[in-house]
Amino acid sequence: MHEVALMGDILDLIKNDAEKRNIKRVSKVELVVGELSNALPDALEMAFDIFKSRNIEMLQKDAELIIIKEEAKAKCVLCGLEYHPSQHVAVCPECNFPSGELTAGETLKVKSYQGE
Amino acid sequence: MKIILDQDALFDNNKAASFNRDIFAKSKTVVINVMSSPGAGKTTLLEKTVSALSNEFRIGVIEGDLATERDAERIRAVGAKAIQIETNGICHLDARMVSKALPEFDLDEIDLLFIENVGNLVCPSKFDLGQEHQVVILSIPEGNDKIVKYPVMFRVAELVILNKIDLLPYLDFDIEQAKKDLQGVNPKSEFIQVSSKSDEGMESWFDWIRSLFER
Repeated sequence: MHEVALMGDILDLIKNDAEKRNIKRVSKVELVVGELSNALPDALEMAFDIFKSRNIEMLQKDAELIIIKEEAKAKCVLCGLEYHPSQHVAVCPECNFPSGELTAGETLKVKSYQGE
Repeated sequence: MKIILDQDALFDNNKAASFNRDIFAKSKTVVINVMSSPGAGKTTLLEKTVSALSNEFRIGVIEGDLATERDAERIRAVGAKAIQIETNGICHLDARMVSKALPEFDLDEIDLLFIENVGNLVCPSKFDLGQEHQVVILSIPEGNDKIVKYPVMFRVAELVILNKIDLLPYLDFDIEQAKKDLQGVNPKSEFIQVSSKSDEGMESWFDWIRSLFER
């Protein structure tokens, strides 16, 4: 459950940016969460609700969390095949060799927020 | 008003990690972040390592735990400087916690610093602490399926140490499958087998550490 700590960091990032822009209330937060980011969307949602219930000044009571899920993708350096990695993330299904490199799925970022 | 931020959620952690990295580079301290599930044998492995290598290197240890000073006391008992970070329930160390512990060491007097992370195969994997090297310990009683169940953790390992091989005769652990799984998840990782109880294989772990100073 490192999602609570992550959410704390995410809200800090937003707070720092919002202060610079003189934004007082945040109504929406948009995240991109990769399949292999080791952060669970459900747990992030829960963490967001916890912060909301703690009456964090900046977060509106009805603030919304939008999570855009990023699918894991890998590309084989030998044959160039792009594939959705299975258990053996690095194994190219064509070459059957650990020649795949992840190209997507590890992202965990704050895409945007909305406030005034 | 919609603001496009497009910023890594770990931005603040990563800033602290690069701060730590600069400090380690300046003092020429080799830093190894040691991760595993609880009970895989991190502290015992480090106790043995400190005992065996303290005549070659000046060693420091940062111990991360949810609570108690117990692990740091074990390391001090074998003669290394050890600082305990109690995370008060947080399931991983982050770079800022490590930054705060660094003034406790005179890093110019430390060649080798181990950071023993909180026992957990999920949370610590994404928090860069500023270390140069990451080692993951897997132990025989956990079963060989852990590598495919926790691929994110095993992907960040530069070395996977399979510990407690003295228990192999009693448990169904398929070493060949574990090797195959590691190859499939993280083909760049090295793999060594040890028992920190019987000392079997420990010399290859010590050699791996020595090799870090020759790079």
